[in-house]
This record gives sequence, structure tokens and C-alpha cells, in this order.
Amino acid sequence: MSEQLLVVRDLATTFHTPSGPLRAVGGVSFDLGQNETLGIVGESGSGKTVLSRTIMGLQPRTNVEVTGSVLVNGFEVVGASERDKRAIWGLQVAMVFQDPMTSLNPVMRVGKQIDEILRVRLGLDRRAARDRAIELLELVGIPSPAERYDVYPGELSGGMRQRVVIATALAGSPQLLLADEPTTGLDVTIQAQILNLLDRLKERLHMSVVLVTHDLGVVATRSSRIIVMYAGRIVEIGSTRDVFARHRMPYTRALLEGSPKISNPSHTRLKAIPGRPPNLADLPGGCAFAPRCSFATDRCREERPELEPAGEVGHAFACWHPLPLVQKVLA
Amino acid sequence: MSSSLYVSEAVEEATQHARIEKKRLGVLFWICVGWLGLNLFGAIFANVLPLPNPLYQNYAAVNVGPSLHHLLGTDDLGRDIFSRIVYGSRVSIEVSLGSMLIGFGIGAPLGMLAAYRRGKFDATLSATMYCFLAFPAIIATIAVLSFWTPRSLIKIIIVVGIAAIPLVYRVMRSATLAYSTRDFVLAAKVQGASDSRILLKELLPNIAPIGVSFLLIGIATVVTLEGALAFLGLSVSPPTPSWGNMINESLAILQQNPWLAIFPSLAMCLFLLCLNFIGDRLRSHYDVSEVKL
Repeated sequence: MSEQLLVVRDLATTFHTPSGPLRAVGGVSFDLGQNETLGIVGESGSGKTVLSRTIMGLQPRTNVEVTGSVLVNGFEVVGASERDKRAIWGLQVAMVFQDPMTSLNPVMRVGKQIDEILRVRLGLDRRAARDRAIELLELVGIPSPAERYDVYPGELSGGMRQRVVIATALAGSPQLLLADEPTTGLDVTIQAQILNLLDRLKERLHMSVVLVTHDLGVVATRSSRIIVMYAGRIVEIGSTRDVFARHRMPYTRALLEGSPKISNPSHTRLKAIPGRPPNLADLPGGCAFAPRCSFATDRCREERPELEPAGEVGHAFACWHPLPLVQKVLA
Repeated sequence: MSSSLYVSEAVEEATQHARIEKKRLGVLFWICVGWLGLNLFGAIFANVLPLPNPLYQNYAAVNVGPSLHHLLGTDDLGRDIFSRIVYGSRVSIEVSLGSMLIGFGIGAPLGMLAAYRRGKFDATLSATMYCFLAFPAIIATIAVLSFWTPRSLIKIIIVVGIAAIPLVYRVMRSATLAYSTRDFVLAAKVQGASDSRILLKELLPNIAPIGVSFLLIGIATVVTLEGALAFLGLSVSPPTPSWGNMINESLAILQQNPWLAIFPSLAMCLFLLCLNFIGDRLRSHYDVSEVKL
């Protein structure tokens, strides 16, 4: 267990809203080893962003309750003071945010935004920090990095900005990088570039990456393991191969059917999942997916299934009526 | 072929034009800056400039109109109006800058801190500030100044400055609030930046343009307020000139010598106009930081 970089146990995040408690993340447990990529997949509102922020220890100062445990390299994030978390932020764990348009300070030169951590946290002097920042800009594939050091974010395209965001995240050489939908705000053509960049950097810098996305296609080839989330809980977890080929949870299948496949004939209609994600403040008693599931029975509506190990190592699912195993061709 | 060439030329010209336009603040802006600079210069160097003594009463030339000898004429006591306006600007400028220093010095940090920290700190502070705001500032100012005698410039500055704190607080708090929940603040935070660093380096540069335009509007408001106080006889006591008490004194003899009312009013009016114009221009100039892509 000690070689695990990230250990999450029974993590739950509850927001106390005027209309009652809202359990955005409910009892999530998983591990992440060194140099591994974990994909967290789910619809909007499935709690994946809250989960990633809770792992970082980033939550509003008030009206939120976090229970369980998050160990980053042995450091307990849950319950730690901001002052203590600052010690690991940037240096051991860093985060890439969803929207590169808002995650850079619009009135600060991009180089200065990378400098920040180098000078304040690593104690580099002005010159060394500048050199290192330019090096980082080059590392993330920004052409003529020395000139780009002095531009404002507004002068860069979305893809370039996301590269700068990644460079800022890498500045403190973190071992764990959380990427919260890093490509959602970008053009499709740029998305692949950014994902490949993350992949390359992960190999080169021996990082572990948590890739949060709503797009199974994004994690298919890049992650070693996948967590499928629904209504704040893990409904299926397993190696990428198992989740794609031997998934047992109907929701996972619905997600897979909702994304385009190259093997389908052209103009095949994608299957949308009927209904809407449940209101987290008012979850049904049983399986949260039951109201939208075509296999649901009375048992599903009354009793919530726990994660059950499937046949394969590390593969588990939460369903009373798991799909039968069919030998399927990998997507 | 020729048409495409024409188009590309037009496009190039347009972009070049846009580039120039983006940088320019306009001639009027610089005229306004110049005028304010002149006012400031006059106020600072009034002693050194070749101006007649603003308090010297020349009974040989009472109520004369503008002439070469008295640029803007004299008042009913034979004092030079031009000189009195220049000396009078001292009061206006000192009161406005001094009180804004107090208002911003206390209101701005509190507003930023409240918006950044939120929670109980913000709730308590905001409630207190809104209580102050609920009380009409001008009446409070008049009430305090009526009883706090003898009146002096510094007392006026303190009273007006304190009255400005909740206003500055409110503006700076809401400006900070608009930025403090942005991802770049979170990003800086997870880089390990301290709170003071985030406030000063990340947030302050973003809200500075709003602060500056509010400062200019604030100065304009205080100049008017000083005028109003002087008009009620609550500003510096005569014979020290201020724009407000010059207008006040002129009322009695408005029929004989209208210049006496016109010139100080004009001085105040131009001063305010320039301030407001600069504030407005700056705001729209710096507002583009996000929309330009």
C-alpha cells in the first residue's frame, strides 16, 4: 500500500445548502500508483469535479463537510489546514483546470504566472526563474518560448493557453497531476494535441495523472484504469480494458453507447441516455441510476447496491442486475 | 485578382487602424489630463507664481470686470478673482485627495479582504458598512461639521473620508467578488501562493482599473461636496478662498457682479468634467483586457 501515490478512502463531500444537505461525493475509495493514469468518467453533475477538487483539498471555506481520507504521498489532505496543504500544493500535487480562458490571470504576463511558484516556492532568483519558465514553455510545446514569456494570456489561442496552464502546473515538478476536463474548452483538433502532450509529459516526468472527463474516448487509450461515477458514487471501476470490454454496469454501457465508435457504420445514431442525472439533494433510496435504467426492478429502487468485485483483478461494479459478459471487440 | 488584392489591402488597413485605435486615448483625454495638471500645478505652486495676494483688498478696484490687470476681475472687496480661484483649488484638491486617501486606505483593503475571505468576516463587515450607508452621508457630514469647531481642513478631510469608506468598501468588494471565484485564483492557490500574494498580485491588478475610475469619480464627488459644505458655511472659514465659499459669497451681489459667481463655478465645472471624462475613458480603455482575443 505504501507505494501508492494517492489513496482515497470513503471520501464524501457534502454541501449544506439552504434546501438541505447535498452529497456531491458519497463514499469513494480508490488507489493510484506511481506513473499511472486514472480516468474518472461521468456525466455532468456526477460529482467528478467536486471529487477532484476534494482530492486537492480545495473546497469553499464554509458550508461543506468532507469525511473519509485522502492520502497524497502519505499526507492526509482531509481536515488539513490551508497552511499545511500549501506545503504539498504545487510541489507534490498540481491541477489543470477546465477552462484555459479563466484559469490564467488576464492581466499578468504568462511567464510571470509560471515564475510565481519558481521564485516563491523553490526560491529561484529572478534570472533562474525566467530561464526555467522559458524551459517549461518549451517543454509544453510553445513555439519561440522566450518571446511568449512576455505576452498576456489574451494574446494566445485557447490551445496555447492550456499549454501555459499545464506549464504552470508542472513548474513545481509535482508527482500527481489532476486534470479536470482539460480539453473540454478546446477545439476538437487541439484536444488530441493537449492529451498527447499530457501523456508524453507523464512519461517523461514520471508523474501520475488523474484525468477527469465526460468523454470515454478521451480516456480510452490514455489511462490504465477507469472509474465510472454516477451521482457522486463509483458505479464501476477497473482496468481500461475491463471497463470497455467486460463492463457489467448498465450505466457504463449506456455511456459507451453514447460515444461514437469508428467500427459503427456511418450515420449511426448515438444512443442518448433517457432522463436526467438525479438531483443530488434528493437521491432515490436505491440505486441512483434505477429511474433511467431499463433493467431496474423493485430491488434496485429500494436497496442501493455496493461495489462487488467482478471476476477480473481490480474490477468492481455496483449493480443488482449486472450485464452478462459478452465477448466484445474493443472499441 | 484585383478585387482580392483590394480586399486584402482594406483588411490590412483596417487591422492597422484597429491597432492604432486600441492604443489611443484620444486628444480630448489628454486635454483633460493637461487641464487637471494645470490645476494641480497652480494649487501646488500658488505661492511662487506671480499672483496677487488673494486676501489683499484693493478698494480702488471693486467689482471690476475681466481686464488685463485683473484677469478675471475682482470681487466686492477688490480681491483678485483669478488669484482666489487658484488658491481656492488648493482647498478642493486637498480635501478631495485627503479624504479619498482615507476612504481608499481603509475601505479598499477591507472590501478586498471581505470578498476574498467571505464567511462570517464578510457578513459582519458588510452588515456594518450597510448600516453606515443607510445613514445619509451628506447629512451626517453636515451634522458632525456643525458641532466639531473650530473647523479646519483636516477635520473636513477626516469626516468626508470616513463617510467615503463604506462606498469604497462596497465598490471594491463587489469588484473583487467578480474575480475571487475565477479559476486563476484557485490556480494560484494550488500553486501554493499565500493569501496576501493572491490579493496583491492576482486580484489587485485586475480590479485596479475599477478602483481608479471610482477614485476619479470619488474626487469629483468630494469637490462638489466641499462646494456644498462651503456654500452652507461649513468648510474653511473666510477669508480663505475655496471654490465653494467664493460661490457662496457671490450670491449676495449676484446682480452687480455676476462674474463673481460665474468664474469659480466654471473652474469647478471644468475640473469635474475633466475628472469624469478621464475616469470614463480609462474605464472603457482598460475594460478590454478579457474580450480581446
